[in-house]
Amino acid sequence: MKTPNPKTTTRSKSIRSTNTAAARTPKPFKRSLRHSQADPISVELIRNSLVAATEEMKSVLMRTSYNMIIYEALDFTVGLFDRHGQTLSIGLGLPMFIRGMSDVVKAKLAFWGEEGIEPGDILLTNDAYTTGAHLNHLTFSIPVFNEGAIVAFATCMAHWQDIGGVLNGVTTDIYAEGLQIPFVKYHQAGVLNDEIKEFILMNVRRRDRAVGDLEAQLSACWVGVKHLQSMLKRFGVGQWQQCIQQIMHNTEFEARAAVKTMPDGVYEAESFMDDDAVDLDQPVPIRVKVTVKGDEMTVDLSQMSPQVRGFFNSGAGVACAQVAFKCLTLSQDLPVNDGNFKPLKVILPKGTVVSAVHPAPMRVWMTYPMTVIDTIFKAMAQAIPERVIAGHHADLVIANVNGIHPIDGKLWLYTGGLIGGGWGAKHDQDGVNVTVCMNDGDTHNGPSEQVENKYPLVVEYYRIRQDSGGAGEFRGGLGAEAEVRALTGVNCQTRIDRVNNTPWGLKGGQNALGNEVGVRSREGDLKLYKTGKVNVRLQAGEAYVIHSGGGGGFGDPKKRKRAAILKDIELGYVSLQKAQADYHLLLSDEETNVLNPNAQKAKV
Amino acid sequence: MKPIPQAPYRVAADIGGTFTDVAVFDASRSQLILGKTLTTPKRLVDGILTGLGKTDISLNDAHLFLHGSTVAINTMLERSGAKTALLTTQGFRDIYEIGRINRPDSFNLRHQKHEPLVPRNLRFEVGERLLATGEVLKAMKLTDLDAMIEALKAQKIESLAILFLHAYRNPSHERQARDYIQKKLPALFISISSDISKEYREFERTSTVAANAYIGPRVNKYLGEIENELKQVSFNGKFLVVQSTGGLYSLTEAREDCVRMMESGPAAGVIGTEALCKSLGIDNAIAFDMGGTTAKAGVIRNQEALVANSVIIGGYLRGLPLLTPMIDIHEVGTGGGSIAHLSSSGALRVGPQSAGAFPGPACYGLGGTEPTVTDANVVLGRLDPNHFLGGEMVLDKQAAIQAMKLKIADPLGLTVAQAALGILRIAAASMSHAVKGVTTDRGLDPGAFPNLFAYGGAGPLHAVMVAKELNLSKVIIPRAPGHFSAFGMLLADFRKDMVLSKFTPLSGTSMVVLNAWFQDIEELSLKSLNSINLATRKIHCKRFLDMRYVGQEHAVTVEIPAKVFKGQSLAALKAVFDAVHLERYGRGSPQEPCEIVSLRSALVGELKKPALESIAMGSRTPPKAANLGVRSVMFEGSKAHTTPIFQREALKANNTIKGPALIVEHASTTVVYPGDTVKVDAQGNLHIQISL
Repeated sequence: MKTPNPKTTTRSKSIRSTNTAAARTPKPFKRSLRHSQADPISVELIRNSLVAATEEMKSVLMRTSYNMIIYEALDFTVGLFDRHGQTLSIGLGLPMFIRGMSDVVKAKLAFWGEEGIEPGDILLTNDAYTTGAHLNHLTFSIPVFNEGAIVAFATCMAHWQDIGGVLNGVTTDIYAEGLQIPFVKYHQAGVLNDEIKEFILMNVRRRDRAVGDLEAQLSACWVGVKHLQSMLKRFGVGQWQQCIQQIMHNTEFEARAAVKTMPDGVYEAESFMDDDAVDLDQPVPIRVKVTVKGDEMTVDLSQMSPQVRGFFNSGAGVACAQVAFKCLTLSQDLPVNDGNFKPLKVILPKGTVVSAVHPAPMRVWMTYPMTVIDTIFKAMAQAIPERVIAGHHADLVIANVNGIHPIDGKLWLYTGGLIGGGWGAKHDQDGVNVTVCMNDGDTHNGPSEQVENKYPLVVEYYRIRQDSGGAGEFRGGLGAEAEVRALTGVNCQTRIDRVNNTPWGLKGGQNALGNEVGVRSREGDLKLYKTGKVNVRLQAGEAYVIHSGGGGGFGDPKKRKRAAILKDIELGYVSLQKAQADYHLLLSDEETNVLNPNAQKAKV
Repeated sequence: MKPIPQAPYRVAADIGGTFTDVAVFDASRSQLILGKTLTTPKRLVDGILTGLGKTDISLNDAHLFLHGSTVAINTMLERSGAKTALLTTQGFRDIYEIGRINRPDSFNLRHQKHEPLVPRNLRFEVGERLLATGEVLKAMKLTDLDAMIEALKAQKIESLAILFLHAYRNPSHERQARDYIQKKLPALFISISSDISKEYREFERTSTVAANAYIGPRVNKYLGEIENELKQVSFNGKFLVVQSTGGLYSLTEAREDCVRMMESGPAAGVIGTEALCKSLGIDNAIAFDMGGTTAKAGVIRNQEALVANSVIIGGYLRGLPLLTPMIDIHEVGTGGGSIAHLSSSGALRVGPQSAGAFPGPACYGLGGTEPTVTDANVVLGRLDPNHFLGGEMVLDKQAAIQAMKLKIADPLGLTVAQAALGILRIAAASMSHAVKGVTTDRGLDPGAFPNLFAYGGAGPLHAVMVAKELNLSKVIIPRAPGHFSAFGMLLADFRKDMVLSKFTPLSGTSMVVLNAWFQDIEELSLKSLNSINLATRKIHCKRFLDMRYVGQEHAVTVEIPAKVFKGQSLAALKAVFDAVHLERYGRGSPQEPCEIVSLRSALVGELKKPALESIAMGSRTPPKAANLGVRSVMFEGSKAHTTPIFQREALKANNTIKGPALIVEHASTTVVYPGDTVKVDAQGNLHIQISL
């Protein structure tokens, strides 16, 4: 087995001149827009079918997978790709996965070459420096052939609950993080490679669960293959290929039109992560430079921090740029396809914290990219303030809790949280309260009634964190706070960042409160830590406390409408004291009387 | 058998946003009578009476009045409910606002969450706490409620929802709080979560009880108004309300447990399909309902409509969940009013924007200039401009052609007919996704449901195209497809659903214990049935368990056959679960331990059913009277077909028609493609055999 080809990390895509010429004519409804002679009705039918195909792949994976990280947290991506590995449609999953899978398909193509792939092959890898993420992400691809030539791929990445490696603590290289699977054929020409299967299953902790997830991933891929074949049969390969070109062309056209409305210029921004969990008190810089010129955008990440010693590295730099670009251009357009990203260039040298190279540890890859995306919005606030958003809590804000269950004497593991946090304000709208961070999409928290039924824990409260949103003409969304009391001794570990580098405001809006971790003693005293990387043993009766940050404010707090300030106090989102400090609010005696009881009540 | 009541009529009234449908079954003549009238929003009963007037029926000749209404859902969607407060366990008043924190519209920076029906300053907390076992961790001091009671008075609160954590295991605190508050505020409408749903999951249960309290006063006023009207017209029978399961419940329960009537209209259509399946001997079918703005699909499996345990009102992105059973229905935003348009890059899209009733499709001639799905039907000759709604409305074909030409055909370089046909194909493809959703999401293969029942005003127009899209071989158009929900209500049974969350490992229980738990629930259900003294033909209880393998989060609802309880074997119970898991999730794990999360019970009191009306028998050839001439209609390809048109009401049983054909009736047109064959059955249903 060969090792994967080194990944090209600097990309600069040239747009075919025919497309560019068409795209620069922003007049809608012109026949000249048409990239090909594709019949417009077939184009729309195929567009619908692509979306339906990835939706069904997603449904099959969620229904048949075994671990809740897949079906509850949606830690997966399914997708269809053209013969070059370009994304035709992806069913997310988490928004951060917008990019990774296309890179993996392209890398597989580069590794084997088109001639090295046969009908009936199933191509697999979990190489962290190809997927850009941790080793838990196994990616399977099945090629679809037509008359002996590859026409497309159906692919599925999903997060396995365990891939071996050390269980607790901070990892400092990839070897500690589990099994690395190079580019292998799980099936070769329709025949299962038993040795590879056994090799993998011997290296994971829950073999039975892993088999379930593996089969689920293959089922999802086969559903994609079935849809691709039925489309090819209905439309013919020639017409189908014209149509997918046209679909990507249409998306590209709309994305270029969106970029064109942004003023040309160079926009830079900087922010910091707290630390890498190894070198505490050592902030990690995040620096972005965005250049808008005509209908193209370049995101330069070359000034990012070099890769770090702790497990916060990733290869997600391009994905960060693409997520931000998608949000700023065609945020609700489906399917997600590569046409959307043709107007985007990303400059990303190897070896940064978002383009890490072997053997950088990658286990908590998802934390930093969220702040990178926020930083791109911060840069773009100079150009298009009405389309961006202030900083958000930018962390999963979870506690990993485990212990021995008093009823059955067995080890239990609980991913405490996700509690959600505040989102940034916009130029005309307050931020959203208590919602999952940018990494997560349609991801749900767990009901406290469920938690208490399963684990020896009591949730004391799960509530909105008053005063956590940044002040501004539009206030940042509020974070949450939860306190969970242990009924027996438990271990509690957190990997939370953005405690000290708090979510920022924009255009005069103020920063929000950051994330926080604490412990409450049996006597009721609360100790808050200065860091979010905490590893403690709680005795029965002690509680862990997690606070999520709010969102930054937008615009000068002086401009906030008085009615909105009073409403915030009435609802208890903002305390009277904080409102007086942030907004210099002066109340009449009558207003004080009306608001005070409520302000008090909210504090309970 | 109990004696047949004197009054021969069973009356069903379905009040929708636009129309009120009335269906009457006359037992003395074994005849079905239908009426349709505009809904009268100011006084909804007027609509029912007008509808009845059209049927020449007097209500004092009726023994049953069955009613489905959109009042509950509209109150919720329009946010026109009572001024409501919420009382909850200390530390949890924000649960209702926090929700499940998901962000499905993941790239949209302007995403917004659900908006609670009760604002934060009206959500009160009290110091009390139960454990997951139901044990009291912290007792409640009732006098702690006094301050809140004063605040409710001062703020003129009309309704109160109460939810305490783990009240599904122990409702005592909720009941004590309710009794204490009710004594001090007798006029306050109070709902407690343990009365509405004994299912764990505090956000969803809060949302359910809050919704119930929010809509309660208005629903009560509405039902009271109808009850009074009925009294005034000397109605002496029983007034029952249709639930979202399509089952009936008493007026008394409807007034307390209002959320259960949320989706009665869509449910009744599926129940009508279920009844037709039974009468036609069809086991598996899809119920397909298409109207002006949406298309919906439900599933009949082994002659029973599939039911979901919860529903989200107001759409997935920002809707509010209800833990209340409802017929499992998937919906897509495609209907007759869906607008065809070009994106900024020139790509053709159909919907989700709808022209609505005003200005409506271009062909309505009310000023609409956007081409819609209905316009495409007019352009292609499938809808007769002169006989829309039985001729009550004349359509402007030229306006439809003009809109199609200007907005779609010319910019894309297509002919008007090509554009119209393309729009219908795109619409059919997107509607087929509703059918796929309701089957594949449950692990079912849509191909195993080869019969597509189509109804709703636009269903018969598009059913064949949808069936072809899904490779289904048969389409059935019931009689009066535009009144089908009212028809379904007419065939509904009494139903009482109960749920009880009890986290129990299978190894820690026995069939005897489970049986006793179910019997306790069923006793309550039976009480509810007996309280209204209905003449039932048969009473049966369905038992379900929500089960999962230990370690899993999601539970699957498994129907437990009576024989498993008779056999008293936990192993047999486990085998039933393994098999359902295998079907639904692709694998079962007989060697893995499992646990029970909740018990569910549905008690069904089957009412005596009207025998379905038969129509006159004819020969293979339709009678001359049914022949309305021919019209040029476009199907696939560029050539128009000279297509015979038939009057549905004049067709006789056994008539057989080879497509192409159009079969027109008052509120609907059935499109039959070339190569397909229609046969009229003894009850007047059209069976279309599709040539795939």
